Amino acid sequence: MEYKVISELLEKYWEGETSLEEEATLREFFSSSHANLPPELLEAAPLFQYLHIESEKQLSWPEEETKAPAAKVVKLSPFRHWMKYAAILLMAVGIGYTFQHRGERQATGDFAYQSDLDNPKNALEETKKALKLLAKNLNKGTNQMQKISYFNEATEMIEGKN
Amino acid sequence: MSLERFLSQVVPVRQKLYRFAYRLLGNEEDAQDITQDALMKVWDMQEKMAELQNTEAWCMRITRNLALDKLKSRKYRRHDDLDHAGEVAASHQSNPYTVSEQNDVMSKVHATINALPEKYKTILQLRDIDGHSYQEIAEILDLEMNDVKVNLHRARKAVREKLQNLQVYGI
Repeated sequence: MEYKVISELLEKYWEGETSLEEEATLREFFSSSHANLPPELLEAAPLFQYLHIESEKQLSWPEEETKAPAAKVVKLSPFRHWMKYAAILLMAVGIGYTFQHRGERQATGDFAYQSDLDNPKNALEETKKALKLLAKNLNKGTNQMQKISYFNEATEMIEGKN
Repeated sequence: MSLERFLSQVVPVRQKLYRFAYRLLGNEEDAQDITQDALMKVWDMQEKMAELQNTEAWCMRITRNLALDKLKSRKYRRHDDLDHAGEVAASHQSNPYTVSEQNDVMSKVHATINALPEKYKTILQLRDIDGHSYQEIAEILDLEMNDVKVNLHRARKAVREKLQNLQVYGI
């Protein structure tokens, strides 16, 4: 009796006129084995078994299985790494101190010298001093040259005598 | 489309897209790649989503197009048989002869369906394995509903002939 119903459904199936429910019925019917199937059912059995297996097959997206558990959030106390902050502070103070002092030194040294030259009187004094120094050294040189010229005169006189 | 919409409408379909791509490509890694690409494409075309009636069918269509492109582009060779040659399905049935015979028949049916033209095969799989309605299949494949019915009928007929041969001649 049941075979007849299935047989009719199967005929409808081959004609492409079955509904989704009827197709599910067919798959369900063929998923278990039956004895003494009439030939028209026997020929369709492998197809429906295959369809049944395929529709039951679980193909899962791999990442969903191996999803890492969400990382636990650990709240850090801001004073936990106090040594870091202390070191940064110390370095900042050190660098600041260095810069400040270098600035001061430059201000007292270079700036004072600069201001001396800005004044024309002072500039004149400085130039005079420099020129005096130059003249003094030059005179040293000419004194030596004078000695050489005496020597020259002496040699000339001797040559003249000869 | 906002992220929320993407998460609520597209991401749940991912599993389905993956199965679909797997059937077309016959290979898990490629199916994963294609599914990922399809999701990226859906995300890129998000402004189009507002006009769509059936997001799922649209996503499946994109997946199918990408999968077919891949099949075309590198003269793709299905290597499922080789990849799975070493795998023997665990079974708890007592008679190994029946089991291997059963596996043999299943692989023949599998080969029969895979040998169908792509359109027939896809329609048959969408209908008989995934249980989609004619309307849904028409939307996924961008066909008329009548075409779907006609093609499904032809696909089943082709399978039936093969099965009859299998039954009678064992080939």
